[in-house]
Amino acid sequence: MVDAINVNKKISFYRLFYHWAYIGAVSFGGGAVVQFMIQDKFIYKLHLLTEEEYTEIIGVGQITPGINILAYTILIGQRLAGWRGSIVSVLGLILPSAAITVALSSVYILFSDLPAVQHALRTAFAAILGISLVTNWRNMKPILRKGQQAGIIPIGLLLSIVLVTAILYQFLHVGVVWLYAVGAFIGALTYIFMEKNKK
Amino acid sequence: MNWLLFFVILFKAVILSTGGFGPLPMLHADFIEQAWATEKQFAEALAIGQIAPGPNGLWVVSLGKLTGGFYGAVLAGIALVLPPFLVLITKHFYQKLSKYPATNGFLAGVVLVVSSFSILVLGDIFLQDSPDVFLVLVCLFSAALAASRKCSANRILVFSIVAGILFYGA
Repeated sequence: MVDAINVNKKISFYRLFYHWAYIGAVSFGGGAVVQFMIQDKFIYKLHLLTEEEYTEIIGVGQITPGINILAYTILIGQRLAGWRGSIVSVLGLILPSAAITVALSSVYILFSDLPAVQHALRTAFAAILGISLVTNWRNMKPILRKGQQAGIIPIGLLLSIVLVTAILYQFLHVGVVWLYAVGAFIGALTYIFMEKNKK
Repeated sequence: MNWLLFFVILFKAVILSTGGFGPLPMLHADFIEQAWATEKQFAEALAIGQIAPGPNGLWVVSLGKLTGGFYGAVLAGIALVLPPFLVLITKHFYQKLSKYPATNGFLAGVVLVVSSFSILVLGDIFLQDSPDVFLVLVCLFSAALAASRKCSANRILVFSIVAGILFYGA
């Protein structure tokens, strides 16, 4: 799996900046939409990443402080064009989106009370949730597929992470750091079990 | 405004948290204590972050703009961008440890938690708004369109916004 974030695929800085700037400029709707567009562009359209590689990038990015999507951007940029690629990618994503955010901050207050704006925001959020369901399913799919191929116990353990997360969050209101710890622990046990059974 | 303190507070909140809304509790406490922001400005910054393109965390840039003007937005942007570069150090250690199944299992577990947690959080926000049948249908239809890969996320959002305005009336 280490190759997933270590391989330096060739792409020009200009093209890299363009792809990220496009995502940064048009990914209205927050993190779920950004992730959806990253998957769509880099995995399914440009074929520069596989689903498995992207899942691994998410894992590494998730245990880093700060905005996770920027961490994914840095890792993808570095993978495709080295350390300069990581800087180009972050600038590409952040410059247009930050500029639009600043512009929206200037005009939002003028229109925020209009009923049409409120209706639009409510319906857009419903769509964002729908997109998020697909995006997150795509993130989970390679891991669950691997568990399924390994047998009933591994897939059961991996699915239990999803179930335990839901129970701990919804009913016991456990903090996200503890959720990570529990998930990581069960995940580590599952992969050790899978490795032992392979031999 | 003390710009250095402004930047330090922003940077501290981002580096000590994770995810787009992670810095919210710390920033809220510090900005209110310094009397730099009002509750209304926080609500507006979060709303703008939701509708603006790019990562959710850009609401911090909006907060910077609303409270500190253009320089506030620039400092907030810098404070957001720097901490994620720590991922290169994380990756360095990951490469050393990735030969062990437990490391990959650790990350797989984290991804499963993050993915299911994201759905739960967004689902919670959605349900708090008391959605009607129309909004549930929009959600399901959007999921189906996204899964089909035949429609971009932006088109789905535009369709949903137009449908919302037509259904509820302007």
